[in-house]
Amino acid sequence: MKIKLIRTGGFIPVTKVVEAEVNLTDKELNRLINIIQSSPSAPRVKDGNYYELTVGSSSTPVDLEKVPDEYKALFSKLKSDLKIIKQD
Amino acid sequence: MCKNHFNPVYCIIPPYMLTRLMESTNKKIADLAINSNFRSFRFFNDRSFFQKASLHEKTILGVITKQAAKEAMQMEVYDCKQKTDLSGAILLWDSKTNQKITSIAGKNVIKGGKASWDFYWQLFSRNSIDNRGLLIKQYVHYDKGLDNAYWDGRRMVYGDGDGLVFTSFTSDIDVIGHELTHGVTENEANLDYENQAGAMNESFSDIFGIMIKQRFNNQDVKKSNWLIGEKVMIGVKYALRSLKAPGAAYINHPELGTDPQPATMDKYQDLPNTQSGDWGGVHINSGIPNFAFYVAAYNMGGYAWEKAGRIWYSVLTDRSLAQNAKFVDVKNLTIVHAEKIFGINSPEVKAVKQGWTEAKV
Repeated sequence: MKIKLIRTGGFIPVTKVVEAEVNLTDKELNRLINIIQSSPSAPRVKDGNYYELTVGSSSTPVDLEKVPDEYKALFSKLKSDLKIIKQD
Repeated sequence: MCKNHFNPVYCIIPPYMLTRLMESTNKKIADLAINSNFRSFRFFNDRSFFQKASLHEKTILGVITKQAAKEAMQMEVYDCKQKTDLSGAILLWDSKTNQKITSIAGKNVIKGGKASWDFYWQLFSRNSIDNRGLLIKQYVHYDKGLDNAYWDGRRMVYGDGDGLVFTSFTSDIDVIGHELTHGVTENEANLDYENQAGAMNESFSDIFGIMIKQRFNNQDVKKSNWLIGEKVMIGVKYALRSLKAPGAAYINHPELGTDPQPATMDKYQDLPNTQSGDWGGVHINSGIPNFAFYVAAYNMGGYAWEKAGRIWYSVLTDRSLAQNAKFVDVKNLTIVHAEKIFGINSPEVKAVKQGWTEAKV
C-alpha cells in the first residue's frame, strides 16, 4: 500500500514530502492512524513542524511522538527520506 | 558634623525636634522646619512607592535604565542524542555548576542564551522569559538531521540540520534569541499564532533576535546586515530571513527556490489558517512588520536597541495589545509609545511613522 508523509511548518515554512510502499493491511493502517492522529486542540508549537499522513484520498494530521515502538523504524526511515518541495 | 542642619534628608533630626522647631516663634526657623518636614514627607513617601514598584514600573518611570547584576541567569542545556524523547535527554550543562563542555551546539546555546538573557535584563530589567527568573531550558541534537528549532511553551529545542541545506540551528545567536523571545511574547501579549497576530508574534521574535545578535556583535544599524540565520543556512549567499529586504534572504536557491516573504502590505499573502497554510502565513507575512521595524530603526540611527527596540519592547509589554492584534494595531501602538518616550514631534516618532508607511501598513 502506498502512503505519503508530508511535513510542513518550521522556522522557515518548507514543505517536505516522501512517498513509500508499506507492507501493512488496511486494518493495521487504520489502527496506526487512530493512535497517531494529532489532537485538533493541541497547542500550536512556535516554529514547530507538522506532519500529515495521506493514504489514498484521505489525509490525517499526525503526531509522530505517538508512533508505537513497532513502527518507529518505519517512520524514522520516512523522515530521513523526506524531500523539499521547491518554492517557485 | 553635618553642615546642613535643617535638612533631615542629609542630617538626621528626630521628628519631635522638628515639630518643636515648626512651632518656634522665630519665623525663619519655623519656615525652614516646615520646609524640611515637607521634604521629609516626600522623601519617605517616594521611597515607600519605589520600594513597592516592580522592576518594569521602575524602568518605565526612568528610575533605572541599567540594573545592577543582582539577579543571575538560570539555564540548563540538555543533549537529546539525536532522539525525539525530550524526557530522556541528558543534562549537558547547568548555570549553577558551569562545567566545561565540548559540544559545539551546547556551547552555542549557552552563548546565545546568555546574550538573550543579558539583553532583556540589562536593557529592560526583565528577569528571564517570564520576568520572574524562569529557568531557561535548551535541548540540542534533537532528532536525526532535523532542520528546525522551536519553542514548545516550556523550552527551546534545536536540530542539527540536514547537512545539505541547513547546518545546526544553534549556529546563529539570532535564532536562539528568536526562540527565547517566543517565550517572552507568550508571557506578555500572548499573540495568537495565526494570521496577522501570528505574523506579529513571528516578527517580534525576529526583531528581538536580530537586536540580540547586533548587541552581542556591537553592530549599529548601518553595520548590521539584518540577516537572520546566515550561518544556519549553508552557502554565503543565503540566510533564513532578511529584515532589510524581506523576500531576498535566498533567491533561486537550488533546493528551496526563493524566499516567499513580502515586504509590503499590498503583497500580503492570504493563506489558509491550517498547518500546511503556515497558520495563515505567520512566517511569510512577518516580513511586513519586520521591514517596518528595519526602516524605523535605520532612520533613527545608532544602535537599534537604544530607541526602536525600546519602543517595540514597550508595545510588546503593553497590556492593551490584544491577542488578535493586526498590523495596524501594532503600528498605532508603536506611534503612541514613541510619542510617550521621545515626544510627539520627535524624530523617533517620524521614523516609526516612516517605517510603517514604507511597509504600506
